[in-house]
Amino acid sequence: MTENQVSNTTNVILSVEAVSKKFCRGLKQSLIYGIKDIASEISATRKSHDTLRKGEFWAVDNVSFELEKGDAIGLVGANGSGKTSLLRIISGLIKPDQGQVVISGRVVPLIALGAGFNPILTGRENIYVNLAILGLSKLEINQAFEEVIAFAEINDALDSPVQSYSSGMAARLGFACAVHAKADILLIDEVLSVGDMRFRGKCYRKLAQLREDGTSFILVSHNTNAILSMCNKAVYLAKGKQIMTGEPSKVMSKFEEDLCFGPAVDQSGVLVIPAKSSKDTTGLDIIRVKLSNERDSDSNALLSGVAGRISIQVTAHSYQQDVIASALIKELSGESETVLHLSSDKDNKFFSFNSGVSEFAISLAKCGLKPGLYTAKIYLHKKPFFMLDAIESFVFRVTADIDMNQCLFYQPVDWLQTA
Amino acid sequence: MNYSQKIYHSRSQLTEPNKLLQSMFNDLLAARQLAWKLMVRDINAKYRQTLLGYFWALIPPVVVAYGLVIAAQARVVNLGVTDLPYPAYVMLSMVLWQTFLEAFNAPLAAISESKTMLAKVNFPREAIILAKVGEVFFNFLIKLILVIFIFAVYDMPVSPMVFLAPLGVVQIVLLGTFLGLFIAPIGGIYQDFSRAIVIFTTPWLLITPVLYPMPKAGIFATIVKFNPVTSLLVTTRELATTGLVSNWSGFVIVSVISIIGLLLAWVFFRLAIPYVIERMPS
Repeated sequence: MTENQVSNTTNVILSVEAVSKKFCRGLKQSLIYGIKDIASEISATRKSHDTLRKGEFWAVDNVSFELEKGDAIGLVGANGSGKTSLLRIISGLIKPDQGQVVISGRVVPLIALGAGFNPILTGRENIYVNLAILGLSKLEINQAFEEVIAFAEINDALDSPVQSYSSGMAARLGFACAVHAKADILLIDEVLSVGDMRFRGKCYRKLAQLREDGTSFILVSHNTNAILSMCNKAVYLAKGKQIMTGEPSKVMSKFEEDLCFGPAVDQSGVLVIPAKSSKDTTGLDIIRVKLSNERDSDSNALLSGVAGRISIQVTAHSYQQDVIASALIKELSGESETVLHLSSDKDNKFFSFNSGVSEFAISLAKCGLKPGLYTAKIYLHKKPFFMLDAIESFVFRVTADIDMNQCLFYQPVDWLQTA
Repeated sequence: MNYSQKIYHSRSQLTEPNKLLQSMFNDLLAARQLAWKLMVRDINAKYRQTLLGYFWALIPPVVVAYGLVIAAQARVVNLGVTDLPYPAYVMLSMVLWQTFLEAFNAPLAAISESKTMLAKVNFPREAIILAKVGEVFFNFLIKLILVIFIFAVYDMPVSPMVFLAPLGVVQIVLLGTFLGLFIAPIGGIYQDFSRAIVIFTTPWLLITPVLYPMPKAGIFATIVKFNPVTSLLVTTRELATTGLVSNWSGFVIVSVISIIGLLLAWVFFRLAIPYVIERMPS
């Protein structure tokens, strides 16, 4: 690559131009189409295909974006939205049906963790083969070898067969090979969940360093934090269509809004549940959940760092005592990790309700949740395992008027000079 | 860093033949090192979990050949009279036939063994084929030790023409690879092919003069004659032993067809492989 070329072509190293790809779900049909496609390819009659044959659908539908040197683009979308298919087209593994992909640089897939690892062979032998598959020359492999084993932390097991490795070790080895493969564009498909926390941290640091050195990324992830912290651009796909492209924070909030519930879902912060019939009820029913905060009485949202309440209205058919209230709060877009688990029995609080409508509240002295969309599972139960009523998902929003970009939760603090 | 711009589009690669040839040439160059690594890996891995190791490469021709020798001596089968000691004759022929068969199976085996790699990484696809073909030659060399041993035991006549025999072996491998490479992509989509190969290899062996000498007349002789493997195998055998080649023209014709066919099969393989990969689990 000459200086001249660089200035001519700006810095775009990958451009995806109106790319579409269709797939067929039925196996038999897909195999027949495979033979037909090969026939049209060798008779040179294959051009672009803009019509769907029977049983086909657009897996990727008219997607365009550009990647500049040093860019990191996040691809987000629900399962089956075409992210992986798009990555496979960019890798050159499968041909697009419409549009084109123009690449100037080496593309290395991190999707391929350990592809080509032979379980019988030793880690050492596998590193050589794997790096060769990823496109390194003999010389480059020899240069990278020490770094790879240092990064993968498998010194002791280097000469043992890979089948004796734990899954974490094998994944580390695969990751280490991929990040040392001298990529210009690294394709990362949901693989950063490998290994333990410490190794994950190391991976993120390595990726950050690669990016400083000018490597570009395409990152596929469901994890909002990963996209927000690593990417300077995001593309949101749904059913193959490009819904939104741009600033990661905006794209992610759009994605979160649409996630799993679409427009019909209520984020008003108030949930009213219709009364249950006498045969469905266990004697105590949640009929309403409502959020409030101290700052703004009109808003049904929680505010980070501000006192707030989750008020729960119940109706009891008879006197109920020793009732425990619990709430499990998760981030809507996150992996299924619970952010907050509140249970009244842990705070030695047991409720009793007289027949009729009552109300109680979970009062948060200061809301520690960072801004975002959350889903809460709220349930009332008695010991040992008697479930009275549960709300599977109460979706609510937490906003903030303070800067919370850099952290995961709000910590109430006082700054004191003590000497 | 010098890399060329790559464009992936929906049009057939045949619409840009120059570009296609250029990329075939480049990939072939780029595939050499990788192919070597893959071959070494496969050979290493193949026998590592065995006690007998490379000896397994020798066992199949030995078993078949000695089975036949015993059957022929007991007059269970009538295989005709060979102009060379029968055990040496059948051993050499079996080795050549198995080398052909391995070459024929190589491309399909390469695709099915490298599925996960093919579905995930874009590397020069030629590498897996080259690696398999290399393995065929490696296996041949091991079997060659056996052939040399048998030749010594039976005091086989060897003419100076033996130095041309490797050319025959190369042609046998080229023919096998050509035929195998043609069916490999389709076989990668429909498993019918790998099943059919298993069934048809035995009849194919029977219409090749491996176990018996070249028949002189009759319909069977015609069938045997038009079997493309026949002229390559017979010529190679003649070169390795008496040095009196009976059918040079047949050898040359089949060789030329194999070379041209192999180039065409290569193009076909390249064009078809993305559609095969599309149907592999990613």
